Amino acid sequence: MEITANELLHITSRIGSMLITCGAEIYRVEDSLYRIAAAYGFSGESRRIEVFAIPASLIITINDGDSPPLTQTVRISSRGTNLDRVDKLNNLSRYICSEKPDFPTIQKHIDEISGRKVYGDAVRLFSYAIVGATFSLFFGGTPSDALCSGIISMVVFGVSKFVNKVKPSVFFQSVIGSVVIASLSVFVSKLGLTESFDKIIIGASMNLVPGVTLTNCMRDFIAGDFLAGMYTLTEAILIAAGMAVGAASAIALASMI
Amino acid sequence: MDILREMILPCIYSFIASIAFGVQFNIRFRHMLAAGIGAVLTQLIFIGFEMSGLGQMICYFFAASAVSVYAELMARRLHVPVNMYLVIGIIPLVPGGNLYNTMISFVGGDIDSFSHQFAEAVGIAGSIAMGVFAVSALMRLIGMIVKQTA
Repeated sequence: MEITANELLHITSRIGSMLITCGAEIYRVEDSLYRIAAAYGFSGESRRIEVFAIPASLIITINDGDSPPLTQTVRISSRGTNLDRVDKLNNLSRYICSEKPDFPTIQKHIDEISGRKVYGDAVRLFSYAIVGATFSLFFGGTPSDALCSGIISMVVFGVSKFVNKVKPSVFFQSVIGSVVIASLSVFVSKLGLTESFDKIIIGASMNLVPGVTLTNCMRDFIAGDFLAGMYTLTEAILIAAGMAVGAASAIALASMI
Repeated sequence: MDILREMILPCIYSFIASIAFGVQFNIRFRHMLAAGIGAVLTQLIFIGFEMSGLGQMICYFFAASAVSVYAELMARRLHVPVNMYLVIGIIPLVPGGNLYNTMISFVGGDIDSFSHQFAEAVGIAGSIAMGVFAVSALMRLIGMIVKQTA
């Protein structure tokens, strides 16, 4: 099945931007789009596609013979982690490459993937609690530490959901999360519920660790995509610094009281 | 030494925690189980190397390379992104204690402890990254050779 340059531009920009917002590695985004275009014959000298992606934007240009080149830029303002969607988009691009379906079919598949919801808020809230509790046990906390850490993690989930509505920078997000964790932990231990607050803070903070960001950073560096690697590395360092700043200021203020 | 406290419990904790992280990253349930097994594997290898008396950094290096091998193999087999298993498997290795102690000595103004803990945390993070780097680079090379010969 043949598709026009315009339609190809439309599907590649949709798939590419969705991959970036769901936390795929940047080299994977570029690679998938090149493969999709090649499946429809856009891989030679006169008919070709150029893709440039960084975590903050995506630029696609399509040359189709003598007609003027088509370009689309997508600015990506916020990214999350939805590895299930990355997996499904990966399958979709593999399917496109082997079956070469027509434009409406691809559109339908993309709509289907963008409408998928994996876990609801209640399950996510619970997962925050589990992460906080198990990690405080993992780092040597007592059962009461784990309980406090689980409850504090749930509070952090609520607060970050509320704060993220105004779309703060990643640094600010982690500062706020970390301030909430540290101040509540100190408060709980001052109440006498636990002996010390350090294991509670370590456990609950694991919810804020930029795991996907760091992994993507390493994989982009290996693939030779240094610009994307530097971008995500900076982001990961900023998140870690934000966590340290937030916890340090909360503990320092609490120790003065 | 106490096998339950030092070996079995950390594995159970990292399994449960990695499943919970799977929910946060929106991973399907069947992939979550496999990812959790990866996290347990990492933990076992880390504890094993640590017991054999090797230095701490090299233990992290080997554990990270082991989980990368696991993630690459599983991803090839099940046709899923490598990330899915790699991210979850690495999380139990994050040096949370060192980072926390760095921050606490910063607040307390203890420069000796601060520089010691900070160097250790950075070293651990570096060894994890190197473990992942080494395996992923090797896998890419093997993939290219296979593609060329096929």
